[in-house]
Amino acid sequence: MVGAKKSANGWMIWLTFFVGILLSVSPLPIFMEILRPLWLALLVTFWALYMPHTVGMVTAFCLGLAEDVLQGDLLGQNALILTLITFLVLSLQQRLRMFPMWQQCLVILVIFGLAQLAQLWLSALTGNRQPTLALVLPALVSALLWPWVSFALRGMCRRYRIY
Amino acid sequence: MGVRLLVLAVLAVALMVVDARFDLLKPARKQASLVLMDAYWITDLPGRLWEGVASQFGSRTELVAENEKLKTENLLLQGRMQKLAALTEQNVRLRELLNSSALVNEKVEVAELIGMDPNPFTHRIIINKGERDGVVLGQPVLDARGLMGQVVELMPYTSRVLLLTDTTHSIPVQVNRNGLRAIASGTGNPERLELRHVADTADIKEGDLLVSSGLGQRFPAGYPVATVKEVIHDSGQPFAIVRAVPTAALNRSRYLLLVFSDSRTAEERANDAAQAQEQLDAHGGGPMLPASVPKPLIMPATPSTATSSAPAAEATAPAVAPAKPAASKPPAAAPAAAKPPAASKPPAKPPATTGGRE
Repeated sequence: MVGAKKSANGWMIWLTFFVGILLSVSPLPIFMEILRPLWLALLVTFWALYMPHTVGMVTAFCLGLAEDVLQGDLLGQNALILTLITFLVLSLQQRLRMFPMWQQCLVILVIFGLAQLAQLWLSALTGNRQPTLALVLPALVSALLWPWVSFALRGMCRRYRIY
Repeated sequence: MGVRLLVLAVLAVALMVVDARFDLLKPARKQASLVLMDAYWITDLPGRLWEGVASQFGSRTELVAENEKLKTENLLLQGRMQKLAALTEQNVRLRELLNSSALVNEKVEVAELIGMDPNPFTHRIIINKGERDGVVLGQPVLDARGLMGQVVELMPYTSRVLLLTDTTHSIPVQVNRNGLRAIASGTGNPERLELRHVADTADIKEGDLLVSSGLGQRFPAGYPVATVKEVIHDSGQPFAIVRAVPTAALNRSRYLLLVFSDSRTAEERANDAAQAQEQLDAHGGGPMLPASVPKPLIMPATPSTATSSAPAAEATAPAVAPAKPAASKPPAAAPAAAKPPAASKPPAKPPATTGGRE
């Protein structure tokens, strides 16, 4: 019975990923470009936390590849980053679900910050040296957005009975 | 879980290495982009819809004002085209003096911007013309005011353009006033280019127009690139610090021009130029104008207008040339004031000048 429901509304997950991809390439004013949240990472984190058996590292890898194609980076760069994020989230999953919201935010800040540093390192390897530590800003913005994303997606899960 | 991470990480690293070193993954990338690039198109949709709605419900006064503006712009562009023709002419003549081949002849096509690269540290844009439209790798891209950049990634229906101001981009330029050559490198700031290794004593000053020199074999020569904003002589530095502002509206232009330079070899070009010269001599117009471009006019898409307006362009060339130093010096905005009278002449001009010549 539960399985039937899941298969009925599983496409909602992919819909959120689709919206995430759109958000991650949507045009922003230049000063806000540097603050663009890591939408795909946020979504992958949420689904890995709440549906670890449906969304895992392979999904994250594929999404990362899509992001690579969209951004014109080396194939595999964002895939590696997203896989790392998912791995960290999955390994903390049991605890993370118990944490109060502010603590979740902190953990996410740390994970995303690490991921962004890895990103800096990778892009330095390919010759695109990015100047400052400003690229940790997206991690900060994502962490601040986490409660809203989390509430909204949980509401959606309840409403459409995605288990 | 750890094993899976290891496998995926190794896979990712392998993909990156292969993608960086070989062309193996390019086809897969193109296929994927066929679907994924629609994301840019979709995110661009609201803006385009809004534009459509605005044009549907725009009030009459607004439309009139816009019309006026477009007309002025049109004049400006025509004026610039004249200048370009004059410069082409002059360049060909000088090249012939040097016994080198004639100038390349370029064709342009309009493309539309559909997205910006989401990475704030790179300056790249997505345009709506791709491999299927004949775009090639390394193709120069212009906007109405100057060079913007070059195509760095080809996809079937879209392509990615690296802008001049990206930190990884450099372009060979030339000071329009005296021909001093330099390399303009991007700084990561959309309003700033820097000239590298310019000697402290070099004759370059504020307000100089930098045009592409064509030395890198990538960009066509003679397109405006930037205007020098400041020159700093610091005795502690080995070279002068020269900062310039790109003339193209790198972060505002929506309609861009793709330049198709001709694929003829230098020899073929020289032969064509020689033939054109002979023809000109046969017609008796030779002594006045020592040289001519193989196919004189560049911009018009229709061949009929190109042939009919060619003599006009030649005729106006000498007339425009004397005014050039004054007109070419101020940055792109300044000719606006100087141009309209010159640009509004063409309708009346051809008969007058030809009459004068005969």
